[in-house]
Amino acid sequence: MFRYIVRRLIQMIPLLIGVSILVFLLGHLAPGDPVRMLLGEEATAEDVARLHAVYGFDQPLPVQYFRWFSRAIRGDLGVSIRQTIPVSTLIFERLGATIELAVVSVVIAILLGIPLGLFASTRRGSLWDFLTMIVSLIGVSMPGFWLGLVLLSYVALHVSWLPMFGRDASIIGGLWTLITQFRADELINSFRYILLPAVALGTSMMAIIARLTRSSMLEVLSKDYIRTAQAKGLKRSVVVVKHALRNALMPVITMVGIQFGAMLGGAVVTETVFAWPGVGRLVINAITQRDFPLVQGGVLMMALIFTLVNLLVDVCYAFVNPRIRYE
Amino acid sequence: MVRRSSMLITVALLVVLAFSAVAGASNDTLVIASGAEAVGLDPRLETDVPSFERINLINQALVQFATNMELEATLATEWTVSDDTMTLWFKLREGVKWHDGVPFTAEDVKYTYEWVLDPANGALNMGLYADIDEIEVVNDYEVIFRLKKPNAFLMNNIARMPITPKHDGDRVDFRQSPIGTGPYKFVSWTRDDRMILVENEEYWGGRPNIPNIVFRAIPENSTRLLAFEAGEVDIYQGGMVAQEIGRLEADPNYVVQRTPGTGYNYLGFNTRVGALSDVRVRQAISYLIHREGIVRNVLNGIGTPGIGPVSMSLPWFNESVQRYEYNPEKAKELLREAGYAAGEINLRLYTNENPDRMRIAEILQYECMQAGVNVEVIIEEWGAYLARIQETDDFDIFILGWSGQLDPDRAMIRQFHTNGSNNYGKYSNERVDYLLDLGRTVPQESQDSIDIYREAQEIVVREVPYGFINYSEEVGLHHPYIGNWEVHPYGAAAWQDAHLMTKNK
Repeated sequence: MFRYIVRRLIQMIPLLIGVSILVFLLGHLAPGDPVRMLLGEEATAEDVARLHAVYGFDQPLPVQYFRWFSRAIRGDLGVSIRQTIPVSTLIFERLGATIELAVVSVVIAILLGIPLGLFASTRRGSLWDFLTMIVSLIGVSMPGFWLGLVLLSYVALHVSWLPMFGRDASIIGGLWTLITQFRADELINSFRYILLPAVALGTSMMAIIARLTRSSMLEVLSKDYIRTAQAKGLKRSVVVVKHALRNALMPVITMVGIQFGAMLGGAVVTETVFAWPGVGRLVINAITQRDFPLVQGGVLMMALIFTLVNLLVDVCYAFVNPRIRYE
Repeated sequence: MVRRSSMLITVALLVVLAFSAVAGASNDTLVIASGAEAVGLDPRLETDVPSFERINLINQALVQFATNMELEATLATEWTVSDDTMTLWFKLREGVKWHDGVPFTAEDVKYTYEWVLDPANGALNMGLYADIDEIEVVNDYEVIFRLKKPNAFLMNNIARMPITPKHDGDRVDFRQSPIGTGPYKFVSWTRDDRMILVENEEYWGGRPNIPNIVFRAIPENSTRLLAFEAGEVDIYQGGMVAQEIGRLEADPNYVVQRTPGTGYNYLGFNTRVGALSDVRVRQAISYLIHREGIVRNVLNGIGTPGIGPVSMSLPWFNESVQRYEYNPEKAKELLREAGYAAGEINLRLYTNENPDRMRIAEILQYECMQAGVNVEVIIEEWGAYLARIQETDDFDIFILGWSGQLDPDRAMIRQFHTNGSNNYGKYSNERVDYLLDLGRTVPQESQDSIDIYREAQEIVVREVPYGFINYSEEVGLHHPYIGNWEVHPYGAAAWQDAHLMTKNK
């Protein structure tokens, strides 16, 4: 297993180089110029030329790329053109918020989605099955931003302890004060703030998990070994949870892994609606501003996290299914 | 039993939380919901309105625009501009201290402008101050600006450049944690979340009424409005949810303030290519802009129908320029006169993904089609759009807007002078060039200045390098318990007098 993980980590290197070249070229070859974006409508030709020289955009593209890349591999992602702050600072000050939101959303999605799917699959064809699937269909189809606004105008506006926007202490920070100072207020506060955005972000995933769990369970429940287990006289709950669910979870884990990776970069809409200070908004703003160092650094960081999450998912398979061994 | 007690605890917790939420909004803290985060807080580097909204509380310029758009004393108490507009003299306010206690002097003024004028520092607004030749420090409280060439309107640009401290301005993180001379001191900033300011107890203009100000960046208009209505923030700032304005104005729980702004939206014509090089065709299209309809239905009544480049509230505004009231018949007649039959003219109209502009483009496309002009609407992403308009002449019509047009020079010279830096449509008229150059050489308060710019407006409006769509309007929205605040025509100056504001919730 250890050797497998090391090999996978080494394989990530060419992948990340590929991503870096791609994101560099996409940025620089697309129309639009960071200096003109900075100067806006009022740009003069002299200002544009002057600032091109200041930022090194007057150099040939390969020179610019190697300059940036040689620093990036030493951990220096450069400085944001627009904000003149190191890219790594900008990313790391938001990464916690993004990961926290993604994790809480995934937890909500799993805790609701798997029981829902399980529930529906064991009552196949019943009204409950039908209702559960309708609910999950709505969940899948509902755009996150819309659900977010609905939650704000119908829940937060009337429930005064649910804040409308923003973020307070981190959950980790809240746990720390609970442990060190026996104060729960920070932890409660962080949950107050994360609840609505996490529900908005996690709902579609919850719905997908429910549907996937249901179909996967139905497939497994029709297998011979389930019939055998039932014939042995095992309790229904044991058959369903221990024999069927464990096998049915494989596709769900794959899906959760992919979705989790996507959430890290794709929570932009939720982050915007709830004014959640995450990485998604940072990178999207950087793209519209053509803030190349920030875009490149942000995408590279997300690619890194995405591949790491994938690796984690593969490792998880081995735990869920002992027949899988990695060499 | 266990279940009941845990439920009781939950309820108790919720009650506590509910009270804590209400207690958060106390009278000693003003919470402003802003539509966008500041880029930074260094007045020498920033160009965006959200940054200056915050900067103007911390740092101050020599003079500032009052809400009636007249210059008023801030760090300078007296000033004169010589008759040839080549020399500016300032008497500085004595006894002013930076937030760290160091006295403010003329050296800080010299330092700020020399920093901006040093190309190596990459100040985006350097061009606004390029006419300054040298800055002479007469003594600690007197400073003289000498210009390379006349520029009667440099004073207005000086009002846009808050002074930074010589002893601290080169600090690496000055842009993230500045010190200034203003009514509020910088405390902390969590980007994309909140910025906290605290009163400057020794402020020369008097101790602020509200000790703390918190800026919350909430990019989504609907969320910001909901947070405002829920009472989590005191003031709603930034892009207005236009459909809601009628409801908000009718509701006694909210105060809506409106004032004419300092910007305008326009159709830009490529005056060098094809049919649009004929002034009659441009006039015809200007007659096809249904300005009242656009303001009412697209902009939800926020703004006023466009007339010319100079705002109506400025003394230079020329009321008697040609008006292009919506008139399809007149447009068809002009097109016939120019020798074009129906369907003969094909134009490409570019705009970016701005929803208002996209709707204006569609309306114009329809009106032009009715008059026999084919218009293709092409929507581009902002970066690509700017590159097309600024770097190529591969377009016929585009839609853009100008903001911060504080004087006629700013509203015209870059746009309509043959060598203007933003003359994207390549408009050229010798008389206009002459007038715009001349205007800089006479004092801006003089009758000559007014005559010069009124004539220039008359020509520009007649020759239609732009089809003027609408003037902007600034909207302020706050709770009635906020006092002593007036919405400012110049958005960046919104909070410059926040130390006078009161909150009695």
